[in-house]
Amino acid sequence: MAGIKSKKVDFFFNPNSIAVVGASPVPGKLSNVIMESLERSGFAGDIYPVNPNHGEVRGRRCYPSIRSIGVCVDVAVFSVPAPVTLPLLKEAGGSLRGAIIVSGGFSETGDGGKELEEKLRQEALSSGIRVIGPNCMGIYDTVSRVDTLFIPQERVRRPKKGRIAMLSQSGSLALTAMDEFYSLGIGISRVVSYGNRMDVNEADCLDFLADDEQTDVIFLYIESIEDGRRFVESASRASKKKTLMAWKVGKQKAGMEAARSHTGAIAGRYEVYRAAFKKAGIIEVSGYEEFLDACKAVSVFPRARGNRVMIITDGGGVGVSIADECAFAGLDAAPLPREKKEALKTIFPPYFTVSNPLDLTGSATDEWFKEALLRTMEGDFYDIAIVAALWGPPKLTDRLAELLSSVAKSLKKPVIICSTGGEYAKAKKPLFENAGLPVFLTPESAVRAACALAERKDWKYGGR
Amino acid sequence: MAGVEKKSGRVLLFPEIKEILKKRSIPAVRGAFVNDLSGALKGAEGIGYPVVLKVVSRDVTHKTDVGGVALDLKSPEDLESAWKGMLAAVRDKAPGADISGFSIEKMVPPGLEVIVGALRDSQFGPVVMFGIGGIAVEIMKDVSFRLAPVTKKEALEMLKEVRLYPLLAGFRGSNPKDIDALSDVVMKFSEIIDEEKELEEIEINPLIVYEKGVVAVDSRAILL
Repeated sequence: MAGIKSKKVDFFFNPNSIAVVGASPVPGKLSNVIMESLERSGFAGDIYPVNPNHGEVRGRRCYPSIRSIGVCVDVAVFSVPAPVTLPLLKEAGGSLRGAIIVSGGFSETGDGGKELEEKLRQEALSSGIRVIGPNCMGIYDTVSRVDTLFIPQERVRRPKKGRIAMLSQSGSLALTAMDEFYSLGIGISRVVSYGNRMDVNEADCLDFLADDEQTDVIFLYIESIEDGRRFVESASRASKKKTLMAWKVGKQKAGMEAARSHTGAIAGRYEVYRAAFKKAGIIEVSGYEEFLDACKAVSVFPRARGNRVMIITDGGGVGVSIADECAFAGLDAAPLPREKKEALKTIFPPYFTVSNPLDLTGSATDEWFKEALLRTMEGDFYDIAIVAALWGPPKLTDRLAELLSSVAKSLKKPVIICSTGGEYAKAKKPLFENAGLPVFLTPESAVRAACALAERKDWKYGGR
Repeated sequence: MAGVEKKSGRVLLFPEIKEILKKRSIPAVRGAFVNDLSGALKGAEGIGYPVVLKVVSRDVTHKTDVGGVALDLKSPEDLESAWKGMLAAVRDKAPGADISGFSIEKMVPPGLEVIVGALRDSQFGPVVMFGIGGIAVEIMKDVSFRLAPVTKKEALEMLKEVRLYPLLAGFRGSNPKDIDALSDVVMKFSEIIDEEKELEEIEINPLIVYEKGVVAVDSRAILL
């Protein structure tokens, strides 16, 4: 491997061995937490602590250097002060394929750090070692069971295995998202926090993820992009096979300044980013709530074929507010076609207003919800259903969730639950979730979820 | 861009850009570049009244702000008095400005004013922009962007993306504008920025859109 720059970064996602450079036996030290993370994630390969000052770390033999391990190590996590990173990387040449440098103190800190990072880049280039970072969190991967995070699981929970991958310029954002995913029950395939992306960048990761059988959706948190044209090429290729979503921050001037000091990169003009996302087939979300709602939706359902939304409710007000939100967001809550209207009129009492939204009123039953969902969503008239079941109507029972879930499965179309209300309504939330139907607590949030699933032709960026 | 003096950061003015537009069959208003009053009168004769007189200067970005535009001049007398007034006004309001000369152009009938622009972004390369009307672009940022080059279909999507699109499609009984010709200009503009590597920015502002046809009335470009 030495001296040959391997183009692909696949090995980061399927390593046989991981070294932790700067490993310390002191609990709570970053390097110690990284080892603990690797152990607890169930990584099946070899773990090598590296530190000349210790003979043993966490019950494992500690090596004075990577070279002294005597095998070519796939990935080494460097948790050492910035100035000693360079000599240690140099020494590892020929014995190491990839480095994850979590240490800060590089280009994000100013001219001195920039110079140090450039030297590191040159060293990586000549030794053929691929580098993620510096100034990053590294990888959390539920497939290869790699966890290089230096934050203990008690502080930030690790989400379960799933089919969403996440690429994040910000380490803290990646962690926060993971913690939220854990709480929301959203699964993850791979997370990469690439920090200053001195070598490995978004495009490299996208090239890998485009062909990753464990991933359906790729989510990007972007502050800035350097090699824009390559990014667009890689993203365009990936978006043909996967759903790509991005959250771009640093849209305003103040945001751009924060981005500069954050990762040592200057954010580009937002309009140009939007143009690039459009070209590459990337769906943009506009903020944190939209990001979480979108992830929740795409983690459960595949993308819908269109943007036509059917709204079924037992509360007129909620139904109309969902219809309003749909209109704002460019979703089409189209009126019921006549044939559907006629068919529905034979099922429901004559005093019903059969339209979209379809209001089942306070007389609603579990069966009515089921029939309404089935009859409206059958055939090619609607792509997504939003069901806003208020729990006031006395005839509704816990069976509702199972009934709706079985219809959703037979329809093979997304069914989004909007559940407004207080204590009683919130207590019913797990019923739907356990039945595989994602629950959103406000009309706005339910429609954001629908947006993430909808295929919109005249799609406006970031919702409104 | 043959025949155009190439110098980094230099501003190209309308008379020079006309050549680029002509090469791509983008219609521009008929006009002549002149240095003195007799040249202006001769030029106006050739073009036919009514005409527009404009100052040509790299130092003047907003010509109207310094009294550098005189519209709808119907006769040689009109032109002569506008000429004298403009010289005084520009000297007064933009004292240091280096005046290259003046342009005499055919006064075009009113239509819908749009902006078509393109620039070379340091990260993403060539980009094309479209917007309707000066205020909507400058204050409302009602514009659409795409990476260049774009197909005619993509250009059409760009037109539809701005909120003022109904003004093009026909609003309150007004007839639809020549959307086909306009999307053609947007497409060609995206090709200009993609192919003319020495350009950093180029913009037609305004491009007047009619029920049939379009015409570039003013344009600016900056070399890399």
